[in-house]
Amino acid sequence: MIPIENFLILSALLFAIGFYGVMARRSAILILMSVELMLAAVAINFIAFATYLDADAFSGLVFALFVITVAAAEVGLALGIVLRLYRERRTANVDEADSLKW
Amino acid sequence: MFDRLPLPSQFDRTIVAGGTVVALVALPVVLVLLALLFADQISAAEMVFFLAATVILAGALGSVLLPNVVHAALSLVATLLGVAGIYLLLLTEFIALVQVLVYGGGVVILLLFALMLTNVADDPVVSDGSQKPFAMIVAAIMGSLFIAVMLDAQWGNPAATLVPFSEFGARIFRDFSIPVIVVAILLDIALTGAFVNARTAEEASEPRTEEAAA
Repeated sequence: MIPIENFLILSALLFAIGFYGVMARRSAILILMSVELMLAAVAINFIAFATYLDADAFSGLVFALFVITVAAAEVGLALGIVLRLYRERRTANVDEADSLKW
Repeated sequence: MFDRLPLPSQFDRTIVAGGTVVALVALPVVLVLLALLFADQISAAEMVFFLAATVILAGALGSVLLPNVVHAALSLVATLLGVAGIYLLLLTEFIALVQVLVYGGGVVILLLFALMLTNVADDPVVSDGSQKPFAMIVAAIMGSLFIAVMLDAQWGNPAATLVPFSEFGARIFRDFSIPVIVVAILLDIALTGAFVNARTAEEASEPRTEEAAA
């Protein structure tokens, strides 16, 4: 049986890589992709805890399912905003999107 | 290096170069894992875990480091499929299927559409990458902190349990019916908002001009 630490370390590394991407990338879409990495890391954690530590083994699965659903909704909404930004400003660089109204 | 190789014209040099790099990275990993497996150092399940972990971490590094945005999106696919493999190892077939369907089928295609509609580039020449070293340091500190805490914790006596595939749907609608409804409303609102947001200015103002004309 695989020790639970393996899954947790994998998830920690994946989260750290995604965090690096969020801070280092400048394009909004690439930041969104790094956020997806962080969400996947969190979902791995939920499922590892559900399978190994919860006798019922169900709540963690539901949370992981909701993480996936909310991530899909978030991507759809955020890409709509990025398209709008690109149309108005000809850029998707988050450093240049610095005003609330123009 | 690949520019000078005599290749038939139908071979795409980018694909050949990418395939060579991937093979050079993957082959040693597979060979080491097979050697460990036959030396009885690791079990077959652990070998699958380490293969999936290699795919996940390599894909994640690719998707945060590659300068070409489409390559970054495609290595995100590798990561997400590897995560589906991890879910299978954790005995949750349903979540693995949802992961492949929603991420592999939906989210990545949406990301690629947005990339191609916006012509985005993450070009270090255009805007400076001065935050990258700091980001690397902070991410490394955070990751090592997480790992230190996890290794320090006592996990009791873990024992794997699983929910049978046939029970999943019944239980999610019986025990979690309110959260399911809330998530459904959230999805509805988010997609409506995305649609309203992504309309062009002409499309948004069209009904008003018709009213004015009438």
